[in-house]
Amino acid sequence: MNKNVLVLGAGVAGLQAALSLKELGYRVTILEKSSSAGGHLKDWDKLYPGNISSSGLIDNLISALDGTDILYNTTVTRSEKSDNGFITEISSGEKIDSGAIVIASGFSLFDARIKEEYGYGIYRRVITNADLEALFRSKEIHKMEMPAKVGFVHCVGSRDEKVCNRHCSKICCMTAVKQACEIKEIWPHADVYCFYMDLRMFGRGYEDLYYEAQSKFGVNFIRGRVSEAGEDKDGKVVVKAEDTLTSRPLKITLDLLVLMSGMVRNTDNKTISDVFGIPTGEDGFFFQPSPLINPTSSDSSGIYFAGSATGPKTVAESINEARAAALAVHKFLSKD
Amino acid sequence: MKERLVFGYDPFVLPFLTGMIFIIGYLLVGTIRIIICLNGRERKRLLTIFHPATAFRIVKDIFADCLLHIKIFKRNVLLGYMHASIAFGWFMLIVLGHIEVMLFTPQRNGILYYPIFFRYFVMETEQTLRGSFYFFVMDLCLLIVLSGIGLAIYKRFKSHRLGMKRTTKLRLGDNIALYSLWLIFPLRLLAESFTADISGGSFLTKGINSLLHSFVSNPSNISMVWWAYSSALGLFFFALPFSRYMHIPTEILLIALRHAKIEATSLRDGYSEAEIYSCSRCGICIDACPMTFNNQDVKFTSVYYIRLLRRRENASVPAGMCLMCNKCVELCPVGIDSTAIKLINREILNKRISFDYTPVNLSDPEINLAEAGKAKLLYYGGCMTALTPSVSFSIFKILEKAGIEYIHMDKENTICCGRPLLLSGNLKDAKELISKNRKLILDSGCQTLLVSCPICYKMFTEEYDLKNIRVVHHSVYINELINNGEISVKKSADSCVYHDPCELGRGSGIYDQPRSVLESIMDLKEAPEEKRESICCGGSLGSIALSYNNRKEIAKGSLNNLMRYSPDILVTSCPLCLRTFSSVNEKRTADIAQVVYEHMI
Repeated sequence: MNKNVLVLGAGVAGLQAALSLKELGYRVTILEKSSSAGGHLKDWDKLYPGNISSSGLIDNLISALDGTDILYNTTVTRSEKSDNGFITEISSGEKIDSGAIVIASGFSLFDARIKEEYGYGIYRRVITNADLEALFRSKEIHKMEMPAKVGFVHCVGSRDEKVCNRHCSKICCMTAVKQACEIKEIWPHADVYCFYMDLRMFGRGYEDLYYEAQSKFGVNFIRGRVSEAGEDKDGKVVVKAEDTLTSRPLKITLDLLVLMSGMVRNTDNKTISDVFGIPTGEDGFFFQPSPLINPTSSDSSGIYFAGSATGPKTVAESINEARAAALAVHKFLSKD
Repeated sequence: MKERLVFGYDPFVLPFLTGMIFIIGYLLVGTIRIIICLNGRERKRLLTIFHPATAFRIVKDIFADCLLHIKIFKRNVLLGYMHASIAFGWFMLIVLGHIEVMLFTPQRNGILYYPIFFRYFVMETEQTLRGSFYFFVMDLCLLIVLSGIGLAIYKRFKSHRLGMKRTTKLRLGDNIALYSLWLIFPLRLLAESFTADISGGSFLTKGINSLLHSFVSNPSNISMVWWAYSSALGLFFFALPFSRYMHIPTEILLIALRHAKIEATSLRDGYSEAEIYSCSRCGICIDACPMTFNNQDVKFTSVYYIRLLRRRENASVPAGMCLMCNKCVELCPVGIDSTAIKLINREILNKRISFDYTPVNLSDPEINLAEAGKAKLLYYGGCMTALTPSVSFSIFKILEKAGIEYIHMDKENTICCGRPLLLSGNLKDAKELISKNRKLILDSGCQTLLVSCPICYKMFTEEYDLKNIRVVHHSVYINELINNGEISVKKSADSCVYHDPCELGRGSGIYDQPRSVLESIMDLKEAPEEKRESICCGGSLGSIALSYNNRKEIAKGSLNNLMRYSPDILVTSCPLCLRTFSSVNEKRTADIAQVVYEHMI
């Protein structure tokens, strides 16, 4: 029995899958295309529910994985099946022998510049959810002058056929509410507006935070998409939107506009799909032959998925799925 | 040459004669119906076709378009030859037939069938030498026609060899007309070969005569073959009104109406009726239509739209689908303006409640154009540029660098130029927008109106009547700034391809200025289909019914064409094309103003 397992991606799903496999007695090698572990979470500040420190979560996983190989700045180039599993060639030219493979390649953040009407990359005061988290994390936000008005635009690059993404990114509603509350905690006198299509507060406690955002923090929720943003002579952002509950167009001048960039397929999914011969869906995320009963299985035996490689997921879901993938690998490798 | 038959008649002429009388009657009624539909002013205009200069142009166009098919020649030589050989060759056969009658048997002048079956009714005399010239020319013309028919048969099986990927599906009427047309000329050859040693012939007819000597020397076969020839002609004439070949006679009328400057005013009557019957269903518009990339949605192309109209069926679906990119009109060998008919169709469909599209108060202090007179340059970005702020940002930087003062007309409150309403058939509301905007622009006292959206540009130049104010698109304006040395640019190693926006290229004829700009800053690559054959990006607001999925497919198809020679950057000069392409293009998409701004020194 081949006790080696290859994990692609050192984000939260990849790290958790590696940890669970390690605990089950397997020797794991993690490939990571960037120069550090943690994926998107390493840039995030706090996670809801519970305001858990994002970097703390990652650090715990990495320290528990002590002794596991994580190959940084590494990608896969070729893979073939052997009698004993897979022989995978990586960018350094090295060949890795493994009995099974877990794909935890995650997602890419939607490039907000594509929605040019919101002016990201053009207007100084337009930032994304990731930029705001970075400001929270580095504490830079406390050095900023208090903005009188802050706007959040939901669904940027999600549920938007105009940019070829029909799917919902699932976590941005919650993230926007969380970030809006955090802004209000820092500047209680700032006016905060959330422009939403509809709020998908699906998880336990999410609806409560949404309630709290209104009752405790006084965040304004406006149902309607922003049509365009412009810059006035002072460099402030002028937003045009429609309040669909009162059927009125509205124009508002903001000091800061935060775009909730959605989750889209990892830009490397196509390469991974070609190397391992596993298909992707129309949206670019990997195809799950049995999403309900075996969500971690691919249609190639010995290759499993964990996390948002198969679609937008929360951290909790990614962790659960990583554990499930580890069990599926264990079951697969213990067959003989 | 003298008459062989005393009465100058034989029963075999009957199929031809009845067919001919039928088609002449049909065409007369059709023409009268079209003229009745014209209003008084248009009928007066129609009289201008008798003015010698106009008449000359009409005859010239008939020769060029109906007989020689110059436009098709330009597109594909073989396809052009096929059309020209059949049309012009046949025309020459008819003309020469009449000349022969006039020369040799003047007493039979005016008898419909006589010039057609001349060879049957005459015999050689000692003066035959006089006729041998005609024998030769007639045989030559027949050979040319036959070569065209041969090509036509070849095209049925291998249409791509003649430059056509797809063509229309034929119906019963088309098939009868097509096969009878194919039969007419081989039968004529055979029939005239029979009489070649009686009434004279040349290399072709004499040649066949001696080749098939045993068959043609049997007099009992003669009648059969001439009957067949006459029947093929008769059948063709009877099938004509029910086939696509109605374009042959109708196009002549269409050319005359066009020169009388008559335009389509309704879906099915008058000028549009002439256009509908002039459609030859050649299918050039199928390959041209951006909707047909994956062999899908062929039914929405202009040729099928016009066929629905001709059959008086409901054509509102294709009328709403059309992107109005005008490529089919540009390439149509007959010059049918199907876009204009579709617009009329949309106006009829558009009966919804009017809405106030101009909530802007003209006395609003935010609309402060008082400075515009001083600045002389008024900039109008339009709705689409408001959604692509990088375009206006770059334009302003360029203007600042050149030291040109400007006023941004729609910085705060925008009034739409009106083209989306116009294209959706909402003429009334469009006019209201036009009058409000026009007042704003004229009152500003500016000299130049700079526009960054080709959609608005076309609207301002064609529908606004802005008197002395010059309307200029930013690609043209930037080209002038570079040529006048008001800004200088450096050349980089990047390569680019230029996408011609429909409204700027085909719509306004601006192809060269943007290319000249790009050549001065980058290596400009070509695309297989560009300039007047440029493929719509799919984002066009011309379509009022196309789904996003369809639009995405069109964008991908158009992108494929543009990126064929792998340029680094896709450059366009329309904010709408920019938006459409950036969501499907993996490489960079940019507006011409952006790349100029980046290359300024």
